[in-house]
Amino acid sequence: MALIISLIQQLSVFLVIAYLFSKTPIFRPLVSISVSLPHKVVIYFVFSGFCIMGTYFGLEVQDAIANTRAVGAVLGGLLGGPVVGFLVGLTGGIHRYSLGGFTDLACMISTTLEGLMGGLLHLYLVKKRNIEGLFSPWLAFFITLAAEAVQMGVILLIAKPFDQALALVTLIAPPMLIANALGAALFMHMIRDQKAMFDKFSSAFSAKAMLIADRTVGIAAKGLNQASAEKIANILLEETKVGAVAVTDKQRVLAFTGIGHQHHVVGRAICSGLTLEAINNNKVVFADGINIPYRCSIDKNCKLGSAIVIPLRIGDGEVVGTIKLYEPKHKLFLNINKTLGEGIAKLLSSQILFGQFLEQKRLLTESELKLIHAQINPHFLFNALNTISAVTRSDPDKARDLLLNLSHFFRKNLKRSADITSLDEELKHVESYLTIERARFGDRLTVEIDIPDTYRSLILPCFTLQPIIENAIKHGTSHLLEAGVIKVSIQPHTTHLCLCVTDNAGLYQATKVRDEESGLGSDIVDKRIKSQFGPDYGLTIECEPNVTTRVNIRLPLPTQTSTQASAKELNP
Amino acid sequence: MIRYLIIDDEPLARDELNYLMQGEADFECVGMAGNAIEALALVNKLKPDLIFLDIQMPKITGLELAAMLDEVHLPRIVFVTAFDEFAVKAFEEKAFDYILKPIASTRLHQTLQRLRQDCSPKTISFNTTESLNVLPCYFQQTIRLIALNEVEYVLSDHCGIHVITAAGQSHTQLTLKTLEQKTPLLRCHRQYLIAEHAIKEIQLHDNGNADIITPSGHKVPVSRRYLKSIKQHFGLQ
Repeated sequence: MALIISLIQQLSVFLVIAYLFSKTPIFRPLVSISVSLPHKVVIYFVFSGFCIMGTYFGLEVQDAIANTRAVGAVLGGLLGGPVVGFLVGLTGGIHRYSLGGFTDLACMISTTLEGLMGGLLHLYLVKKRNIEGLFSPWLAFFITLAAEAVQMGVILLIAKPFDQALALVTLIAPPMLIANALGAALFMHMIRDQKAMFDKFSSAFSAKAMLIADRTVGIAAKGLNQASAEKIANILLEETKVGAVAVTDKQRVLAFTGIGHQHHVVGRAICSGLTLEAINNNKVVFADGINIPYRCSIDKNCKLGSAIVIPLRIGDGEVVGTIKLYEPKHKLFLNINKTLGEGIAKLLSSQILFGQFLEQKRLLTESELKLIHAQINPHFLFNALNTISAVTRSDPDKARDLLLNLSHFFRKNLKRSADITSLDEELKHVESYLTIERARFGDRLTVEIDIPDTYRSLILPCFTLQPIIENAIKHGTSHLLEAGVIKVSIQPHTTHLCLCVTDNAGLYQATKVRDEESGLGSDIVDKRIKSQFGPDYGLTIECEPNVTTRVNIRLPLPTQTSTQASAKELNP
Repeated sequence: MIRYLIIDDEPLARDELNYLMQGEADFECVGMAGNAIEALALVNKLKPDLIFLDIQMPKITGLELAAMLDEVHLPRIVFVTAFDEFAVKAFEEKAFDYILKPIASTRLHQTLQRLRQDCSPKTISFNTTESLNVLPCYFQQTIRLIALNEVEYVLSDHCGIHVITAAGQSHTQLTLKTLEQKTPLLRCHRQYLIAEHAIKEIQLHDNGNADIITPSGHKVPVSRRYLKSIKQHFGLQ
């Protein structure tokens, strides 16, 4: 009886160590079942340690050791599987063997067997898909009880002389059976508690993440601006309960809420080195306030002491802004908030991307609609008809020619807007249009087109040149009292070609405000070129007020492939 | 005989209307103008009974021109336009009529018939509510639209009407009366209108006259007759 109590006392010390150990991060892998090698290695070392410790905490009894070694071996097997169990048992056994005594060999064999038993049970339960069962303290209790019984048997079988072995077993069997089974059950209980805590922790984490995700849905899709940033910042502050939250774009602070909002003024340019680092290097920057100090760049009395800056990325990793979480100086920056922040940044990034996608789709639809409107430009049509009506009397042949040009113009206009065309085709379209406009405006309009034949096969989206020339007339020269002169030319550069349309009106700025919605805006032409050739191409407009407006259409240099591609698309 | 002007910036459009009007013995074309500025001068000079007015014209549209005409000699206005649905709708009630291009002669005859019945000169309250924001002016050989808030004062002399800004002096076809009615400029003298913002100081003289000093240092006379109303405008009496 005294032996039982002493052994349980030893067991208590053993369990206290196990408990303390359970609070360390090394313990974390033990709460899950995994087949990964590092995981198994951790289990091997941990339980071998406990196994050896069990031997040390044993009590010397009749040239043998009453011990709690079985706890380590069985649990090692139970959590790590047969191989780990075997190895843990073997390690503990070899160690026991090294201590000598007449039961040394018996103990070594039996400890190895115990580990193997745990491992086999593990295998059985995993096969049965009863992972939860592995963590049952009762199971641990009974398997350890059984393992200890086997040990006693092994001692009786192997240890010599048999009388001494029998006497020993009679003495130590009850305390060891009880202590080891109890120890294993309690140890498993600890593991299970820890596991439950982690589970609870992660489900709380997931719940919070889901809640934030749910609340922020759709806000960022409208783009990153002060209004959306403010909403996001408020939600993050409420849900994470950090000290302060900021949202920035690439240049300035869009929202700041929480501690220090008095001096972190919304709208000012970013001056924090951390944020600039996050934006420029496209990475998460974390100043935990301990190893890497955080120092407010605006006010040195600022109460904030740590910060994480997470870049918002879209598409191919382009940074569009950042999310910043802060904690005050007296508070530790929780890891959960760090992870949460990173997750939310990802979520918002994809929302922004989605928003951009929608916006692009909307713009495309809008430009298609505007294009359709331009295709049936009624003002032009009725004026043209009126002109032709006047010409009919004086010059029937010219009237006929004008009608043919008008029909050619409208026929081209009715082509699908997504088509690409050759510069030659585009110039023919322009020519039809100009024939009518020249008739309308008489000597008030001169158009000079100077494009060498070598460029006629150049490809470009249709409705590139014609709308620009139409704009030059409509918003430019038609507002002149004197004669309007429009020049079209092409200039090769090393990286691109520049198709230039200049007028002598210089009214670009003025008419843009006045006449925004009419006609096919140059911005649509620009978008169509960019969507065809990429962001390096498109329109630039230079205007010297009341003197000249120059529209530069940047197009890629003609290459073999693009010419082939164009030929294919033009002649399907 | 009804005297009319054709105002359109497209020569063929003017030809077309002129041709359609040729059979009308009781209508006489007294002139044609290719833009609103020329038209304003012609209207002031010839005082026609009727104008055919295109809407889309350079610098000043037909609608803007209509608002610039002196109401004393206001002719009947028939807008002739290719497609300006909204603008036409806005002016439907105020204009005498409007005709769409290409012009159908039957439609034109209807308009002419109405004009024959009702072309006696009368002051129409058309466009009194419209105020001018820009003044079309000649500056040497170029035409400039001067924003009203740049104008310091307007002076009328035997050469015509001059608009004075801090930058210099231009000439306009608008009459002083039109300017007085359709802009916030204040009458301070029989020959002068002054902008309120251009009154830096008023120097009173013993004879009851006064001079206004403008920010750019010009001196504008104020006659006894108008000094009172100027003072009243500022709540000084």
